[in-house]
Amino acid sequence: MSFVPKKQPFNGKINAVTLGTGDKAIVIGGQNVLPFYTFDAPIENAPKIGVEISDAAGEWTSAGLKDFYAGCTTMADYAQRAETMEGADFLCLHFESADPNGANRSVEDCVADAKAVADAVSMPIVIMGCKNIEKDGELFSKIAEALQGKNILVLSARAEDYKTVGASVALAYGQKVGAETADDINLAKQLNIMLKGLTVPSQSIIMNIGTAAVGYGYEYVASTLDRVRAAALAQSDADLQMPIIAPVSPDTWGVKESTASEEDEPAWGNVEERAVDMEVSTAAADLTGGADAVILRHPAAVAAVKRFITALV
Amino acid sequence: MALKGLDIFKLSPKKNCKECGSPTCMAFCMKVAQGALPIDKCPYFSDEAKAMLNEQTAPPMKTITVGEHKLGGETVLFRHEKTLVNKNLFAITLSTDMTQAQVDAQLSEMAKIDYERIGERMYVEFILCANTQSDPAVYTKLVEKAAASGRDLILECWDVECAKAALAVAGKGVILDGATPDNWEAMNAAATAAGVTLGVWAENLSDLYDTVKKLEGAGNKNLVLDVTGKTAKETLANAVFVRRTALKDGDRTMGYPSIVNVGRIAKGDSHLQTAYASMFVEKYGSIIVLEQMHYSQALPLYGLRQNIFTDPQKPMKVESKIYPLNGADENSPCCLTVDFALTYFLVSGELERSNEPVNLIISDASGMSVLTAWAAGKFSSTSIKKTIEELDVENKIKNRTLIIPGKVAVMKGEIQEKLPNWNVVVGTMEAVQIPKYMKDKEYEAAAKAAAAEAAAKAATAPKEEVKELTFEELLETKVPKIEVVDMGVHYKGHNPESKTFVTIGERIHCISPSIRKAMDERDPAPILKRAAEQIAAGATYLDVNIGPAEKDGPERMMWAVKLLQENFDNVPLALDTANKKAIEAGIKVYNRTNGKPIVNSADAGSRISNIDLAAANDAICIALCSADGIAKDNEERMKHCHNMLERGLSLGMTSDDLWFDPLFLVVKGMQDKQMDVLNAIKMFADEGLKSTGGLSNNSNGAPKLVRPIMDSALVAMAMMQGLTSAIVNPCDLRLMETIKSCDIFKNHVLYSDSYLEL
Repeated sequence: MSFVPKKQPFNGKINAVTLGTGDKAIVIGGQNVLPFYTFDAPIENAPKIGVEISDAAGEWTSAGLKDFYAGCTTMADYAQRAETMEGADFLCLHFESADPNGANRSVEDCVADAKAVADAVSMPIVIMGCKNIEKDGELFSKIAEALQGKNILVLSARAEDYKTVGASVALAYGQKVGAETADDINLAKQLNIMLKGLTVPSQSIIMNIGTAAVGYGYEYVASTLDRVRAAALAQSDADLQMPIIAPVSPDTWGVKESTASEEDEPAWGNVEERAVDMEVSTAAADLTGGADAVILRHPAAVAAVKRFITALV
Repeated sequence: MALKGLDIFKLSPKKNCKECGSPTCMAFCMKVAQGALPIDKCPYFSDEAKAMLNEQTAPPMKTITVGEHKLGGETVLFRHEKTLVNKNLFAITLSTDMTQAQVDAQLSEMAKIDYERIGERMYVEFILCANTQSDPAVYTKLVEKAAASGRDLILECWDVECAKAALAVAGKGVILDGATPDNWEAMNAAATAAGVTLGVWAENLSDLYDTVKKLEGAGNKNLVLDVTGKTAKETLANAVFVRRTALKDGDRTMGYPSIVNVGRIAKGDSHLQTAYASMFVEKYGSIIVLEQMHYSQALPLYGLRQNIFTDPQKPMKVESKIYPLNGADENSPCCLTVDFALTYFLVSGELERSNEPVNLIISDASGMSVLTAWAAGKFSSTSIKKTIEELDVENKIKNRTLIIPGKVAVMKGEIQEKLPNWNVVVGTMEAVQIPKYMKDKEYEAAAKAAAAEAAAKAATAPKEEVKELTFEELLETKVPKIEVVDMGVHYKGHNPESKTFVTIGERIHCISPSIRKAMDERDPAPILKRAAEQIAAGATYLDVNIGPAEKDGPERMMWAVKLLQENFDNVPLALDTANKKAIEAGIKVYNRTNGKPIVNSADAGSRISNIDLAAANDAICIALCSADGIAKDNEERMKHCHNMLERGLSLGMTSDDLWFDPLFLVVKGMQDKQMDVLNAIKMFADEGLKSTGGLSNNSNGAPKLVRPIMDSALVAMAMMQGLTSAIVNPCDLRLMETIKSCDIFKNHVLYSDSYLEL
């Protein structure tokens, strides 16, 4: 043979982090190659897909989502249905209604929902907050406490609140914690260092290094993913070897491509298809760059991304 | 073939003998690279070196032109390493298996996708015509139909007779994707005869490699590689190995653009094709072929491509125009901001969330953010007036409320003066505050107030005769008399012949609110205080930044120059503003006892004429080695450097009076480019050129305690490379001590135990 391809596995390795318990527990990360570079070295743990369930899911207008969740009223109903979704690996409970500037649902109600879901399902659970630092701090701590032993992931600790979130979620209640930064590799590293400084074990940290829908400044996300992975693998930087989770759906379902009605944009065609393709494309780009898990909403997107992952790993 | 000037320079004699007519060897090599001079002009280049040049300077990956499109030519594997050059192109598939109706439906669906997104036309560039049978007439019919659409074609055809027949009707922009290890000779003959690019495919990479070798041996280097495998996994492996072999391992046999047919590996599954296509946008598909392009796929795929192929060193800009939001009409108010794409997305997004009809007016600001553009003079009352005129806003919109970004509230008065028909209102500081601001209609009251104020002014103040004053008249009538205050600090003098490092104190800058206020009010105290501190700390020069100063630049600068020089023993100054008249005025009153004035600054783009200004006034000029945006590599930096050097020399300047600025980059964000900057300084020094720059930019955003450490380390490294000056904060003791110590090691100053105190 005249051409012998040069394989390039790295010495550095992404941490393998387990979420959930029992049969449905999943492992995220663990590889020593770039995403899907199975030709360099085998990838043990395929990237995972989470299904987003929101406490505002009642307001979803997509026909496909309404059909899929027909008859569901409580968050637990939604979660049980989501577990049956083809391609789902874990569930993401998004408490967007907790926002004090929005519906301002009480922490107690949210915790009750989270508990009901945890009792009803067996898949690993990821908690997403409402982006209000104060409210999230309380919410995360109470949910982490209520779901002790379930090995959940809480999104996220940020530079502003990593001390309280890290101390309660990871240290007091032994859950996994997300470290969230926005397209800033230096801050991503710094936040991991600070969490480790609190004595949060590396194996309990998963990163969210920033997200965007494709077309919306996605170049920053792409380059941050590339650079984080290069540091983790090529430079063996232990402070960036945490696996990466990318919440895709909260971004993609907010952009014009997914929301503009067919009357407003007649040339664009079916709005449902647009929303699905936005999710699929953004998820595929995230996974290609380095995400070890993505969070999606639409059953068709979840199924397509699952086919994508399965074909490549 | 693109020769790189720096590669040529490596092999050059480096004598700087000027026999070729160029001032330096590097300048000569740059010219050779641009094709402006033949290499034979230099009598000292050895034949060996010339031969090596041809070999070594071939790019690792060829650029192939098909029709109007360019493919390949990439130099890096990841966009952050430099930039990606030629964006992926997309194709849809027609096949001889399809019925006439299916073909027509495909073509009409494709034709619908043709729109513009941030200045870029988005459409399907190629049609792949797949041949699955052996009748040339059948294939020709399909190809004719496809060619009639005006798109470029990929003829996927392994049958030589069919290929030949199709080529006869296919038109100009064509890739014959038909060469295999078995038929390559015949296909090569067909493609070469028709003058089209040849696509090569093989069962595995080894066969592909051998076939390319054979084709190259036969003289054909107009190739693309069809890396589509049997599965997605195999296809990704092929795409990565081909690109990596060319760019990382330097084997040019694989240095060709690729075709990736995701329609073939995900047949009938459009969502999966979306996913694969997204992956290959990032991972090395030059042409990505889908079965069909639905609008729902085009929107994300073209958006992703546009993002990925954005030059990381050049800001993404949106078009300067009126964007009516939320059903705005001519009676809706106007919001104004800059053309930086992120600003646009943020502001338009928040305005849309407010649900209030509003006309968003985007002003050309070279793609900078609001404050950066303001400081650089790119977002000023003049540029805003120009935007309003060029976009014909006054005829298109009746409402006269103009909301400006809160961050440039200081411009309100100037804008109001330039646009007397408008009611200028200061908007919010941050985009997130916009929805509330718009919903509460806070701007309405403010607009009324602005209107009332303007009316009152018009009633009381008689219209002033606008007459341009000469510098002498300005000085006489507008510049307040300088009072000399003894602050106990004296400038120790400066010998322009000395080789010691020149520090330019950066602390008198309009971005500081207290300095801005002092400049506005002609209040000497805050300015003198900062000057005294810097002089006491040992600054050689003081920079005087008076801001964009559109309105009263000349009198401001005259005042500032006189104020500083008269109080501090004619301390030499760098005059820093986008207003050229102001610099000129400053030089008129400048005292040269301790050194020439410095014009801060010229660049190789829109500010190049500041070199002319420096030349005409016998001043030193800081020359930024950039045009628009940061230079992407040292090749570009040196090109800008030589452009400016030549301009200066042709205007009678000496090279000593051009201080080249490589543009120091921030570590938090551009860590991997720091060595480039340092190497550029070495290149300046090797040519005997002087250099300077805003060195402390490297540590921007780093903790206060860390910055002096980073700055000191960098200045030491940069002085080792030959940096001769820097714009710094002289009150940073650690930095100043490092500089003094480096001057000792460089043997610029004779050592004594108390050298730090001198």
